[in-house]
Amino acid sequence: MARRDFIVGGALLTFTLAGCEKKMTPAQARAAEVPFRTLDARTVAVLDALGEILLPGSAAAGLSHYIDHQLSGDAADSMLMIKYLGVQAPFTVFYKSGLQATDTLARTVYGKAFPGLSNEQASALVTKMSGGQVEGWQGPPAGLFYFVLRSDAVDVLYGTRAGFEQLGMPYMAHIEPPSRWGE
Amino acid sequence: MTSPTQTPASPPRDPVDVIVVGSGAAGSNMAAHLAEGGKRVLILEAGPARGPGHLISSTLYARRVKWTGPPVLDEGKNPVGFVFNSAYGTGGAAMHHYAVWPRMHPEDFDMHSRHDRGLDWPLKYVDLAPYYDEVQQEAGVSGDATKEIWRPAGAPYPMPGVPVFPQGSAIARGFTKLGKSVAPLPIAVTSTNYNGRPTCLWDGWCDSGCPIGALANPLTVHLPRAASAGAQLVNDAAVTKVLTSADGTRAIGVEVALKDGTRQTVNAKLVVLAAFAVENPRLLLASATAKHPQGLGNSGGFVGRYVMTHAAGLVYGLFDEDTRPYMGAFGGQLVNQDSYPKTTHAKSGAFGSYQWMIAQAVKPNDLLGISTTRPDLFGPALHDFMKRATRGFAGMTAVCEDLPVADNRVTLTDQRDTHGVPIARVTHTTHDESVALWKASLAEGKEVMRAAGANEVWTGPQGSMHIMGGTVMGSGASSSVTNGFGQLHDIPNLVVAGPGLFPTSAGVNPTFTVHALATRSAEHLLANWRQVAG
Repeated sequence: MARRDFIVGGALLTFTLAGCEKKMTPAQARAAEVPFRTLDARTVAVLDALGEILLPGSAAAGLSHYIDHQLSGDAADSMLMIKYLGVQAPFTVFYKSGLQATDTLARTVYGKAFPGLSNEQASALVTKMSGGQVEGWQGPPAGLFYFVLRSDAVDVLYGTRAGFEQLGMPYMAHIEPPSRWGE
Repeated sequence: MTSPTQTPASPPRDPVDVIVVGSGAAGSNMAAHLAEGGKRVLILEAGPARGPGHLISSTLYARRVKWTGPPVLDEGKNPVGFVFNSAYGTGGAAMHHYAVWPRMHPEDFDMHSRHDRGLDWPLKYVDLAPYYDEVQQEAGVSGDATKEIWRPAGAPYPMPGVPVFPQGSAIARGFTKLGKSVAPLPIAVTSTNYNGRPTCLWDGWCDSGCPIGALANPLTVHLPRAASAGAQLVNDAAVTKVLTSADGTRAIGVEVALKDGTRQTVNAKLVVLAAFAVENPRLLLASATAKHPQGLGNSGGFVGRYVMTHAAGLVYGLFDEDTRPYMGAFGGQLVNQDSYPKTTHAKSGAFGSYQWMIAQAVKPNDLLGISTTRPDLFGPALHDFMKRATRGFAGMTAVCEDLPVADNRVTLTDQRDTHGVPIARVTHTTHDESVALWKASLAEGKEVMRAAGANEVWTGPQGSMHIMGGTVMGSGASSSVTNGFGQLHDIPNLVVAGPGLFPTSAGVNPTFTVHALATRSAEHLLANWRQVAG
């Protein structure tokens, strides 16, 4: 295995593209338009839009592919922050219903789907969600959902060697994150 | 010699002397000492095999080392944070522990007698002190006993104190300005080469597990010793029941579910439960028989009770100077125990002890990462904060004593795991006087950060660190589950090891005390083998 494979992303996962397994970072999986396994297109659109409000750049970094990949595998191998937060696996329902609730909130308040909102409108809704008190919210607790998605966005953008380097933080690994999922 | 990571797929068919359930700090310690004492020891670990190669330097991959066993319902106003605070696999939670190893203080052992709060331990500090000395020598602890003015009597540390990086110096300035002192944080991490182990690189990857042998986790210290002395470790071996004799007076072995779905009975003269503070009471309760209808060791009704977790007093500051907050150990660089006397903050309605772990190494993300200290920020403001904090962040954590409350407890639910064993519910709501202590720690912490010159000072929510109690030791079955050696009052050859034994939580991290208790218990069991194991 080439040393290069270790260094590229710090979170290379195995995605399936055209029937072949391929090692990619979530960002590469996004660029290659790897098909989603658990999330549908509409949910992904809300997730990408929410990710961009929470941490600009996280959608391009492959937030949706990362979450889809994690939700599609064995919960015991999950690397999602939600593990720590008292929510029982599997976590798909949490994500799907939270994203659905986010979209419904946008339609109720602004009469538009969440991905169609302006930055100001979307940020105003996310501020409400972060406070945990959202009238008519139907999903997992809004504050918890905000915290989880925000953590995921930070994980994807800053939780890798590339992310550390963006911040000027030395990575100093003993063992680099492996290049193939499941090893 | 068998490597602890090359293990057989199933337990032996013939009886052994000792079965140890769990391979974490307590289990690996007991296994090493009992095997070295000539006993045939079998360690049954419910989780998968893990070696140094699994300890990947990544906050994301670290999450795969944490608990992935049967679900635990984590409830109450202040849940114990079971998944984050435990682990699944070889080495248990100690594989990713931060190795902050201060001693408990004499006043921790008789709090009920002194203050009419909590419970008394069935032993005193002087009973445990020689074992702290022994353990710190074998595991290696770095510290400065002279500078640690609060430290109870004991042998000096075998390694010098850990280095102080700019984050530590910045916060220390605040303590000094307020007339308080700091000392190197006592940690079981190598500040020099030690017994063939290399010096730590101070890269802050402790939470992912230390693969280089700098941090005293079970893979580095006790599991190799246990293996050398002939102990066998079987992974993916979930004990489903402790088996007892027909008259109910003795443990005779365990029933274990293996990875291939089969069940096996293994007999032993002594059974040690070292599966942590929630799984131990779960097993005792789930092993009920006609002779023990409320569960094993539960004639007094105390199995599962007095679960405790330290409230984390999280205080942060942002400085102009480059604090290099990513350098050092995850546990911290410096300690202050000025607030150890139990009534220090009585005026605030608080009771109990706390210590500061000062200047903990941080990463950008994860539960204890920089980004999570400001969960309110998102968007461009979060990017901006991340960049500023990478240069100027500093943090410290108070380990706040949690008063034992009988209703904070582990119980069984009517849901069952894949092996048919009822899953556990752990309910925890912090005592008012402990909440007041946590608030007092935040007030002091903010004062220190301001005195240190931080431009911005803020605090975090009441986190949960460590899990203790649930199978507390004491003087008899009318008030506790085990004696001072972890033997069940009702069944003396069934022994509990680990922080579940603690009758009080103290204001310090538990693992050093877990080791001291386990070493003392193993010595007692060997010395009284005929009487205990027959």
